[in-house]
Amino acid sequence: MGFVLDGLDAEAYDRQYSDGVLIKRIAAYFRPHLRVMLLVVLVTSIGAGFPSISAILISRSVDEITQGGDTMTTLMWAAVITVLGVLGWLVNYIRQRYTAIAVGDVVLKVRQDAMNAVVARDMSFYDQFASGKVVSRVLSDTQDFSSVVTLTIELLSQVLLVLVVTVSLFFVNTTLAWITLAVSPLVILAALVFRRVARAATQQSQRASALVNSAVSETVSGIGVAKSFRREATIYREFMETNMMQYGIKLRQSIIFGSIWPVLNIISGLALVIIVYVGGQIAITTPESLSPGSWYLFIQSVALFFFPLTSIASFWSQFQLGLAASERVFALMDAESRVVQRNNLPVHDMHGDVVFDHVTFAYNPESVVLRDFNLHIKSGEKIAIVGHTGAGKSSLIKLLLRFYEFQGGRIIVDGQDIRELDLADYRRHTGLVPQVPFLFSGSVMENIRYGRPEASDDDVLRAAQSLDHGDWINDLPDGLQSDVGERGSRLSLGQRQLVALARVLLRNPSIFFLDEATASIDPFTEHQIQEGLDVVMAGRTSIVIAHRLSTVRTANRILVLKNGDIIEEGNHEALLAAGGHYAELYNTYFRHQTYDYRPWEA
Amino acid sequence: MLREFRTGNEYPYDRRSAARWVLSHVMRYSYLTIGFIILAIFAISAFTYTSFQIQQAYEVIEQRGTLAALATAALGLLAIRALFAIVDMINTVIREFLASRLERDAREELYISLLGKSQTFHNRQRVGDLMAAATGDVTQLNLMISPGISLIIEATTQIISPLVAIAFLSWQLLPVPVLFVFALVWGLISYNRQLGPVAGMLRGQYGQVSARLNEAIQGIEVVKSTAREEFEVARFYDVAKRYRDLFVQEGEIQARYLPALYYGVMIGMSFGYAVWMQSMAVITTAQMIAFLSLVTLFQFPTFISLFMFALVQFGLAGANRILGIINTETEMDENPQGESHQVRGEIEFNNVDFGYADGSILTNVSFTAKAGETIAIVGQTGSGKTTLTRLVNRTYDATAGSVSIDGVDVKRWNLDSLRSQISMIEQDVFLFSKTIAENIAFGARGDVPRTQIEWAAKQAQAHDFICSFPDGYDTVVGERGVTLSGGQRQRIAIARAFLTDPRILILDDSTSAIDSATEDQIQRAMHEVLKGRTTLLITHRLAQIRWADRIVVVRRGRIEAQGTHEELLVKSESYRRIFVRDDHAATMA
Repeated sequence: MGFVLDGLDAEAYDRQYSDGVLIKRIAAYFRPHLRVMLLVVLVTSIGAGFPSISAILISRSVDEITQGGDTMTTLMWAAVITVLGVLGWLVNYIRQRYTAIAVGDVVLKVRQDAMNAVVARDMSFYDQFASGKVVSRVLSDTQDFSSVVTLTIELLSQVLLVLVVTVSLFFVNTTLAWITLAVSPLVILAALVFRRVARAATQQSQRASALVNSAVSETVSGIGVAKSFRREATIYREFMETNMMQYGIKLRQSIIFGSIWPVLNIISGLALVIIVYVGGQIAITTPESLSPGSWYLFIQSVALFFFPLTSIASFWSQFQLGLAASERVFALMDAESRVVQRNNLPVHDMHGDVVFDHVTFAYNPESVVLRDFNLHIKSGEKIAIVGHTGAGKSSLIKLLLRFYEFQGGRIIVDGQDIRELDLADYRRHTGLVPQVPFLFSGSVMENIRYGRPEASDDDVLRAAQSLDHGDWINDLPDGLQSDVGERGSRLSLGQRQLVALARVLLRNPSIFFLDEATASIDPFTEHQIQEGLDVVMAGRTSIVIAHRLSTVRTANRILVLKNGDIIEEGNHEALLAAGGHYAELYNTYFRHQTYDYRPWEA
Repeated sequence: MLREFRTGNEYPYDRRSAARWVLSHVMRYSYLTIGFIILAIFAISAFTYTSFQIQQAYEVIEQRGTLAALATAALGLLAIRALFAIVDMINTVIREFLASRLERDAREELYISLLGKSQTFHNRQRVGDLMAAATGDVTQLNLMISPGISLIIEATTQIISPLVAIAFLSWQLLPVPVLFVFALVWGLISYNRQLGPVAGMLRGQYGQVSARLNEAIQGIEVVKSTAREEFEVARFYDVAKRYRDLFVQEGEIQARYLPALYYGVMIGMSFGYAVWMQSMAVITTAQMIAFLSLVTLFQFPTFISLFMFALVQFGLAGANRILGIINTETEMDENPQGESHQVRGEIEFNNVDFGYADGSILTNVSFTAKAGETIAIVGQTGSGKTTLTRLVNRTYDATAGSVSIDGVDVKRWNLDSLRSQISMIEQDVFLFSKTIAENIAFGARGDVPRTQIEWAAKQAQAHDFICSFPDGYDTVVGERGVTLSGGQRQRIAIARAFLTDPRILILDDSTSAIDSATEDQIQRAMHEVLKGRTTLLITHRLAQIRWADRIVVVRRGRIEAQGTHEELLVKSESYRRIFVRDDHAATMA
């Protein structure tokens, strides 16, 4: 039950829906399966009566036998009971099979819709929400979504079963029926109390388990350190403390959970004894009001009656969980993208002339990143942006790619407001290499081709070979066919960067964006990448968030950003000589990349 | 088995197979296990005996007996149910006790064995897999006992016990139930055969759906900037559709569950058969009643079987994974008789090869570091730099050739003495969730006075940032949002090295971020700590490379060139290229 609280954290895009709205929307998903669901409900309702009918038939027959009735008739009833057994199985078969189909289809449809909604969101959504939580909404919440319907069908059949049994009991003997009914609150109460206790125990043990798991994680991860210092005994003692704690909590919780059946057994046992005695008394003293067969029917019905009660008692909370999951799924679907295009003008050729015209941009109202920002980048210019974290460097790239919506001013590319352009068309003319290059599982070839699926193998090869004279391909185990592993894990960071560069090169964009990696790369690969960048940047507008010394040294123009303003601009030599903010940035971030850096002599 | 760590009182478990291993764990508490089985049989028999009490009550009613006789029958019933409830409760406690103990003991056994494994093992194993074994797999063991195996015991008893009772009632009543039991067993076997593969595929497919979704979300910048959203949705739909198909297939198999059909037919047939036997006067009506309530007891084993076999299968799979880890041979031992004295610090690699079965990593590596020298090791990622340094403290052992310290092969050193004189400072420094002071003192033996810790932190340029935390040296790492940056962790590790004062230092500076604002302090700390020690320095920094006493250039597991900076500028083409570009860029601007 560890999953009960997972994914329940509220997110900013969460909203409240009334239960009615939720149920309506859920029902809409099941509408294409309406006929099948009605069939399921119908057979389930009919099927609910079968066990009672069998029990009644048996008790009647027992009475007939005691009174010396006809064996042949009784045998016929036996045949009817057998047929009812087969029919009961059939009903269950229909119910399970068609429910599985309906649920499978609905979950698939919901997942598809959720996925569509997810990829349509702008980047602010992804910055705010951890991918794990989004995944859990699309995968596990959608699964729980369908439980609202399956639980309802389940409830329906249980309620019907209890009703049929109750009615038949009242027909047989009112006194005994009342006695049976009188015990039922006890069963429901026990089930509810147990749920309470179990939930408290679960919550407590979940918290404890999270602690214990992180302690186990630490002692397992710490083995390496402990070994190199030969401190195994210390870490072993710590592990044992954690392990004993886990054991204690787990044992307590399982005993609580394990005791529900013995408790329910005691209650139903008590009811059975009362019915045996009181019923027996009635049957002996006034045989005309209760035959021995009916007495037997009552005993059989006790179990038939109590068992569904416990699942009815637990219905509501499970139903609530299902509704809550649906609410999370709908909130995800209904969240709106903040990036809005006003028009969809096609983009044919782009030269890469970029103008920021009085642009204002804020991630949220409290923190404005750019205020009245103006900048003109000429086609083919190579721009390096420097500044401390939070100066607004990456915002420029994100706005130009339409990852975020800006609040004021205009951004103009080749004389066109970018909000007027067809978004997909526009993005096809841009190329981005993110700070941590992302590779999809598959081969190097597939990854290079990702941005231009129609490219031929030769095109891909040519793009790859134009970097580092193609030498880097020879370092891959199977050349371009090498499997990159999950998220590119089988390639080094430098190799991943080269793949990302080749990907951009193949698309031949008019504007190239690079967020330079901050991780250090060995000087040999660094050299390959720098040469590759020279190739990629040649002849196109390039905007680079610079972390590397060689980038700032070779840029046409360096923009020095502070609090969203360009406070200095010019080339490396001139800015350094001026001794302003750039000189300070240089000392903090770039000087240690030179080969005569010796801070201990300063 | 060779091991690097052992405790005094380890219980000998049978590790020849998963089943034997689980059995040996359970039989560690043999009294409880046997007690559980006896009590389970007893409880189910008592439960079964309920039917006889009902039969007795029925006879009283049928023959219009006295109320006292009826009361006796009812009280008998009460007594049996009460007895059953008490035994059931006791057994619940025993069952949970055994299950939790198994989980605890298995986790401990796994952990001890992990501590005993060599670093080679740990470096090849992903921490995530070990974590999964220590948390997920051991939980499966718990569930396998409770409710898994205990349900199997109860279900089996609940099949046998009514059969025995029916035989006592009248052996002529046996044919229908016996036939049913055969059908049930056969039905369960074929059901599991059908369900197993589909259920496995379904789980696997869920992983695929999740992986596909995760990938699309994590690569969303690329997806959006290349306008491939539709493609990603279509790819997701494909795997989600396959999941849906398997889900429906599984539902179909579960819906068809034949034992349920057999049960329904059996009830009808039992009734008919009992009526027939009664009409032939082979049994009485009361016996018939008892028989009819006995056959309903088969309902529990019929429907619970769905669930219990899966639990046992999961449990055994978990046991197999845990045993796989425990039984992995490790190649090193503590070597307590080996050399144990002060190291001077001369390191010599002599024609060293290293590799795994699936490929060689280092080939014919030879170089010497004199005591006190700093050797920079440079090369591309994956060239074998890190592996090379790991041969010095016997994280790995060379497969051919030799690594010697002060002229003695490292394999002949006492492992304790060797490792305590070699410190490794990795970039990705692991800190425990303890105070900073405890983390710094981790490597040192015995109690270290606070003044010593502060001295080490000052040497490592860590004192200032430590004092900037409200709790200073008593700040618990990871608590209340106190997280340390890579550079801060690195300096804590350097402080550790000042305290342990090793003769040999292995310093990996290759994964640092280049935008660190505290680089000056880190570099000063490094420069300070490697004074007077032999240092193998893995680095990407041109400055560090240039100022090292000597440089070893590694390429694809071989030494491509070695020498001083000036020598390499002349000797090595690729080495020259990296420095020339830097010069060129500087002059061009």
